[in-house]
Amino acid sequence: MKLLRSTGSVLQRLLRSPGSALALLFLLGITLAAILADLLPLNPYAQKLVNALNGPSAANWFGTDEVGRDILARVVFGARTSLLTAAGAVAIAAVIGVPIGLVAGFFGGWRDATLMRFVDVLLALPAILFAMAMIAVLGRSQVAALIAVGITGIPSFARITRAQVLSLRRRDFVTAVEAFGGSSAYNMFRTILPNSWSPIFVQIVVLCSVAILLEAALSFLGVGVAPPTPSWGEMLRTGKSYLHEAPYYAVLPGIVLTLTILSFDVIGRSLAGILENRSEVATPAKAGGAP
Amino acid sequence: MIGFVLRRFGQLLPLLLLASIGIWAMIFAVPGGPIGMLVGENATPEAIAAAEKQFGLDRPAVVQYLDWLWNALQGNFGTSIHGREPVLHLIGQRLPATLHLAVAATIVSLVIGIPVAILSALKPGSWIDRVLSAWSALALGVPTFWLGILLILLFAVELHWLPSASGYVPIWEDPLAALCNLALPALTLGVYVSGILARFLRASLVGELRADYVRTARSKGLPERQVVGTHIMRNALLPFVTIVGLMMANFIGGAVVTEAVFTYPGLGRLLIQAISTRDYPLIQGCIVVILVLYIAINMAVDVLYAYIDPRIEYS
Amino acid sequence: MADAGAVRPDMDPDRVPVLSVRDLKVEFTGSGRAVPVVRGVDFDLYANEVLCIVGESGSGKSVTSLAVTGLLPETARVSGSIRLGEIEVIGAAPETLRQMRGRDVGFIFQDPTTTLNPVLPVGRQITEGQVAHGLLAKAEAPRRAAELLREVDIADPEGRVAQYPHQFSGGMRQRAVIAMAMAGQPNLIIADEPTTALDVTVQAQVLAVLARRQAETGAAVILITHDLGVVAEVADRVAVMYGGRIVETGPVAELFRAPRHPYTRALLRSIPRIDTTDARLDPIPGQPPTPSALPTGCSFHPRCALAEGRARCSGEEPSLRVVDRLQQAACHYADEIPVASVVATPREAAGGATPPAEPLLEVDGLKVHFPVKSSILRRTVGWVRAVDGVSLTVRPGETVSLVGESGCGKTTTGRAIMGLIGATGGDVRFEGQSIVGLKRGDMRKARRQMQYIFQDPYASLNPVLTVEDIVAEPLRIHGIYDEMGGAPRIAELFDMVGLSRSMLGRYPSEFSGGQKQRIGIARALALKPRLLILDEPVAALDVSIQAQVINLLQDLQKELGLGYLFIAHNLSVVRHISDRVAVMYLGRIVEESGRDTLYDQPVHPYTQSLLSAAPVPDPAVRDSRRRIVLEGEIPNPAKPPGGCTFHPRCFRATERCRSEAPVFGAYPGLETRTSCHHAGPLSAGAERQLEEAQ
Repeated sequence: MKLLRSTGSVLQRLLRSPGSALALLFLLGITLAAILADLLPLNPYAQKLVNALNGPSAANWFGTDEVGRDILARVVFGARTSLLTAAGAVAIAAVIGVPIGLVAGFFGGWRDATLMRFVDVLLALPAILFAMAMIAVLGRSQVAALIAVGITGIPSFARITRAQVLSLRRRDFVTAVEAFGGSSAYNMFRTILPNSWSPIFVQIVVLCSVAILLEAALSFLGVGVAPPTPSWGEMLRTGKSYLHEAPYYAVLPGIVLTLTILSFDVIGRSLAGILENRSEVATPAKAGGAP
Repeated sequence: MIGFVLRRFGQLLPLLLLASIGIWAMIFAVPGGPIGMLVGENATPEAIAAAEKQFGLDRPAVVQYLDWLWNALQGNFGTSIHGREPVLHLIGQRLPATLHLAVAATIVSLVIGIPVAILSALKPGSWIDRVLSAWSALALGVPTFWLGILLILLFAVELHWLPSASGYVPIWEDPLAALCNLALPALTLGVYVSGILARFLRASLVGELRADYVRTARSKGLPERQVVGTHIMRNALLPFVTIVGLMMANFIGGAVVTEAVFTYPGLGRLLIQAISTRDYPLIQGCIVVILVLYIAINMAVDVLYAYIDPRIEYS
Repeated sequence: MADAGAVRPDMDPDRVPVLSVRDLKVEFTGSGRAVPVVRGVDFDLYANEVLCIVGESGSGKSVTSLAVTGLLPETARVSGSIRLGEIEVIGAAPETLRQMRGRDVGFIFQDPTTTLNPVLPVGRQITEGQVAHGLLAKAEAPRRAAELLREVDIADPEGRVAQYPHQFSGGMRQRAVIAMAMAGQPNLIIADEPTTALDVTVQAQVLAVLARRQAETGAAVILITHDLGVVAEVADRVAVMYGGRIVETGPVAELFRAPRHPYTRALLRSIPRIDTTDARLDPIPGQPPTPSALPTGCSFHPRCALAEGRARCSGEEPSLRVVDRLQQAACHYADEIPVASVVATPREAAGGATPPAEPLLEVDGLKVHFPVKSSILRRTVGWVRAVDGVSLTVRPGETVSLVGESGCGKTTTGRAIMGLIGATGGDVRFEGQSIVGLKRGDMRKARRQMQYIFQDPYASLNPVLTVEDIVAEPLRIHGIYDEMGGAPRIAELFDMVGLSRSMLGRYPSEFSGGQKQRIGIARALALKPRLLILDEPVAALDVSIQAQVINLLQDLQKELGLGYLFIAHNLSVVRHISDRVAVMYLGRIVEESGRDTLYDQPVHPYTQSLLSAAPVPDPAVRDSRRRIVLEGEIPNPAKPPGGCTFHPRCFRATERCRSEAPVFGAYPGLETRTSCHHAGPLSAGAERQLEEAQ
């Protein structure tokens, strides 16, 4: 398929810019560390109270926390928490949001009005508040955080898909399928959806950064992933109490968190540029005659 | 004009209603409840029943909701289960602090965001554009709670210039103290939002720069500052107004994290407390007030937009 | 415009040109590699003279005009010399250029919907250039703006000054742009496709205003266009551009009578004409070159009838040289071109009457009304009668055309017949069987017999499918891919529309406009339909490509006995291709007849105005032709005028027309059917009426 064939060229163009190449490299590293964390000589749970709040050293590169656990180990295992939550949340958001946008945009009318009203309600509350309220209902756990963050991501997928469908809906190649007898379902899934992947894909990458940020914020507020599971937000929350004694405690995990968010954002934007330029080629050029 | 405002309001009312039903439905889906927390884990069934009766929690959910709605429409949001104070009173105490922060953060974000956007849009792709775009990305990528921590480390822990915890001081009572207290939270929030604003404004400026009317304006021999200052800015600022309004509306309840970093007594933190103690009347009240303000700001923006954009007519 | 024959300004050694361009070269460096777009252009322009620059897309005509005003983007590298009065434009300081613009040169752009700033009042935009130059006091500006608007025939100019562009109609906007360009009384006006985005009756108004203002101010005008009809109407001198160079230049009469460059000649022979010849069009083979991939030597040689593999044409670029007293051409073999006229060949007698076959398609009183919803509460506040009682018949092997200006409902009619838009009333019968309100399955069957071809070949092909899959898609949807012959059938369809089988696996983005339209035609033919509805199938194509597609359509019709419903606004194309023609105005057919009867003896005043407004690519007839310039523009179809909907613009309108809608019926003595209380030929009497009305 064309999509697969062009993945290589998109990746090539992504790597051409030093910013996105670095971002990609960083994410690759973080992901590998998260996957292979168990194989590394790191233990995020081993407490050694005598070692509490030691600064960075050869043994503990990022220093130790208030109960003597290795901060680097907690950052690496925290990456697992963070990336898993983000991936799950984005999956939930896309799996629910994209069909909503597809149906709302394609059929319009009452279906559009109802679905988008639901989406508007989700949008009206700031995402963090909504996620907090959800967790209040579900109880504090990683799954709760994942669901809460996922639901706050539904509107963006629904809106982007709907906008894409609306712009494609009246395009001649969609009408053409109708003209030679294709059904609505055929048009929706075989014509419109394959032409909508680019913005949806960009949104998936962008939403990863949003989801990581949101999960960290929830943990920072003390309603996200429950301790002792390592989590970046939770580390910043505790680290904030030791700003005088151990400033590295809040600063170092924060750097990793920030770089992760930035990397997703940089890649998302580069992708948008690359895929947009591509779609520009397909838009009708202004030709001589106009009716 | 008034008709336009009323129609806009009419559209938003169902949204509010839907949201309040949603919150209630959510609350009733939760096992356990505020009473459990209030009377303690070892309370007798009689004590629980008495407490439930006291707060009217023994009636059917629909009745409770309608009762709440009826009172809410009259401005009575009930009594906080935890603090035993009228909900509206609790919210009223926090609202000025939140509004202070919202205004201050908006000013900061505009002061940073607009020049960044204009400077980078004038020469898309130039080194200055790349530097400023990287700045916007950074402003957006750095989590507010981490930026807040860094600012506290620098200005409070190292330099001792500003307090690490910000209280609320009304600006009309002691402007200097108010500014000192607001400086760090407003900067934290403002920097983040300046990234959003700069990105948005840059995109719309770059789009407008390519518009045909810009070529027309140049073909008339207009000086460049007039081409940019009048022709382009007028078009680019129209959608920008909407975004600024949206951001301000978001500050009302969405500044929870910043408020938490600086232990600032805003509406967001009240809501966190309410959620952690499962104080339903308070949760309900906070969310409704946040929504109403959100909608009010959005409506004000819509009306302003219709007023400044000649293409929109009120009919 | 000005009488070019009297004094040849460029022959008079004492006169100083307003504009003098020498060896102009423009390269674009944006994509890393320098792409030459203009490659050595020379011309002079004198006061009171209209120079038309003609060319197809990519010929460099617009870039040349932008270079003259220094308005090219920064990625453009410009060299050579452009002298505008005392100023050397190339290398001039930005401030000098700014002072020059609006004062020495005024610019009119193509699309009036985007050239004006949507959020500033029109009056302010007209005069702000003069205010910025310090030539006009701010307090005086509104009065001056009103004056300028009055000079371009805008009613109530004082009231219009404070309005915004969206409150102006398309034609009014373009007149406002003309007023803006004229505001500083510049010596030079550059108009880049000023009427391309306008309807033909509005085009006539705008060209008339431009001509009058040019005559009043004595300015020199460069008019850039792809429309040879417009050239013949307005030009004194013509420069034909191809591949970034001027390939031929000369006075308009000589150039049209005896073109001395093979491209000019081929171009003139390839366009259908409203007033002549029934013969098959003579298309230019191939595509216009893109600036990034120019052929070696003479850039026209791959398409040229004279080149025929001559080494000199592909090896050496010819320079522009004098080939005649008044004409210059850039061709090694210009002398071989027959000097015989290419225009005004008498029309062949109309072919025999169509054999009376059973009608394929019968449309009877078709109505399509759209509700107008209020923007807030979504209540229906009115109806747009987009199609309001249209009746038509198409027989096998016959082409029936539906012509009209934008918004007349011709496209909606086509789509409603196809079932793509629900009909509000009336009936559509295919081979005698009604297809309105059919159930899904039956409709699908009916659609196999009827296919639609879209205007914009860029938009009508799914960009993520290979062209093979695109052409096969109708067969797959109907589940008859194998039954109809599978892959060999697709290859056969490619042969039929003149595309190479080697292209089957490519994606639409790899094809040119003309090729895409061929793919669209192949797809439409896949189901072996009997009727094609063609919605402006050539309007988006370059002039030289239009002829190729028109010929293909005619060949296919002959070969397969197809019935065509041809929807178009271009009256010349319609005359060339049709057997019968129906003219639409505001959702109704106002006149319908056999092709020649309608063109030679129109009886409805709208048809008469439309035909007279269409430019004829023959400068010889421009002074002898009578032109009816209609006032106003097409009214809002949501609020059509009472009585006869045409009456506010009609030169024959009487009291009766205002109150009573005419009935569509036969016109005595002709095969024509029309709806007009005062139908009749454009007689002397009618003309007197016309003059009184103006």
